[in-house]
Amino acid sequence: MVTRKQVLFLLLFILFIAEDTILPQIIPSAWQMRISANLVYIVILFFAVYYHRHTALVLGILFGLLHDVVFYGEMIGPYGFSMGLSAYMMGLIFQAPRAPMPIMVSVVLLGSLLNDTMLFFLYKLFQLNHVTFDWALIEYMIPNLFVHFVFTLIIYVPLRKQLEKIGTPKSKADEAS
Amino acid sequence: MLELFKLLGNKRLFVLLVGLVTFIALMGFTLSPRANLSWPEKFLKDSVGFVQYVFYKPASYVAGFFKDVANMRAVYEENEELRIAMGHYTRDRLKYNDLEQKNKQLEQALNFTKEQQNRYNYGSRIAQVISANSDPNSRTINIDIGENAGIKPGMAVTSQEGLVGVISHVSSYTSTVNLLTSMDANDPTSNAIAATAVGKEKVFGMIESYDPKSGMLKMTKIAEDSNIAKGDEIISSGIINNFPKYMRIGEVKSVEKSEYGLTQTATIKPYANFLDWKELIVIIPPEVKQ
Repeated sequence: MVTRKQVLFLLLFILFIAEDTILPQIIPSAWQMRISANLVYIVILFFAVYYHRHTALVLGILFGLLHDVVFYGEMIGPYGFSMGLSAYMMGLIFQAPRAPMPIMVSVVLLGSLLNDTMLFFLYKLFQLNHVTFDWALIEYMIPNLFVHFVFTLIIYVPLRKQLEKIGTPKSKADEAS
Repeated sequence: MLELFKLLGNKRLFVLLVGLVTFIALMGFTLSPRANLSWPEKFLKDSVGFVQYVFYKPASYVAGFFKDVANMRAVYEENEELRIAMGHYTRDRLKYNDLEQKNKQLEQALNFTKEQQNRYNYGSRIAQVISANSDPNSRTINIDIGENAGIKPGMAVTSQEGLVGVISHVSSYTSTVNLLTSMDANDPTSNAIAATAVGKEKVFGMIESYDPKSGMLKMTKIAEDSNIAKGDEIISSGIINNFPKYMRIGEVKSVEKSEYGLTQTATIKPYANFLDWKELIVIIPPEVKQ
């Protein structure tokens, strides 16, 4: 199905928009400094596991760079780099169209930790953040995991159904390996 | 090239290395202060910004409605306080008008140039927030006015409470605000703000960094003999970098001796709370003739 893919892509874009416009208003004020949910990345991880890691790589770079350009505060690139690479790595290790839910949940938790860590050290590399890693871990990376976990539970059933309907790109998979 | 492939043994690794180098180069290039954005960036920012604008406003109305219902009780007390503040304001306005007139006459008598007279006549533009980036490494927000309203990088942005940040990049119809929370002394791109205390014009210091752990700003290089004290209201002094004067920044929480004992360091609690964005005000400095 061609149209299904396009609709999914469009929904992903809408999620990208909603994540920075609607989400900050839903989160209670006391938590706003602590939660920086990256919902698009979760969906991309689903693509990495149930579809193909190359698709996840391209989507990660695409939406990461979009995020970087739209919120261009310090530099362009960290999101594109970390989302693309970490989604690809998770796909490389865990790609399995039949993976059950516990595997997917652990992929989401590991993947979001990996992504946040990568971002943290990228900003560290350019001397843009000055907090310690321990503090960052407690302050926002672990609270983020809870939000990501809940979001995974919400989208798991519908998204997996859609991805199964699209099917795995067989020829592409053979080409890549 | 082939030998390189063999050396790496793997095409994948090669692609990864090239990607790594490309991204690091991209980050390094975009990190340096750039005067203008290129057109693809502007196009992306404006088109995504438009969609965000469409989403943000209804969402903020709905969220605002629930918050208002929750705050119903507080409204009565707030109203009372506002009435008192209004009374103060009307009285102060009369005094202010009188002083302004006198000041103008004196400036004319002393042959101030036009530029000197208009130095502190800042314009302002109200802007609607269209999205907030929650990335804790660099928190930014987007507002719905850009080059079309004469916004330029480096202008100060305030909320009703106090200074919020500085415009970092501008496209045609949107602009990005770099929040005070990403301010740091070691940061290659951020500039310190010269600040002073209300009613104590001798006090001078530089607001250099924000500590995310305590949520406080740090004001350094305050002279040892200055009489800054806890509870002072800190505003920008407008001495450096064309940063506008009279921006409310925060309240002094504590004052300490600095590391080497020659100056003092103050911890400042910012007035702006960096949450629940709605409207912001961009301060536009008067045109300066070159």
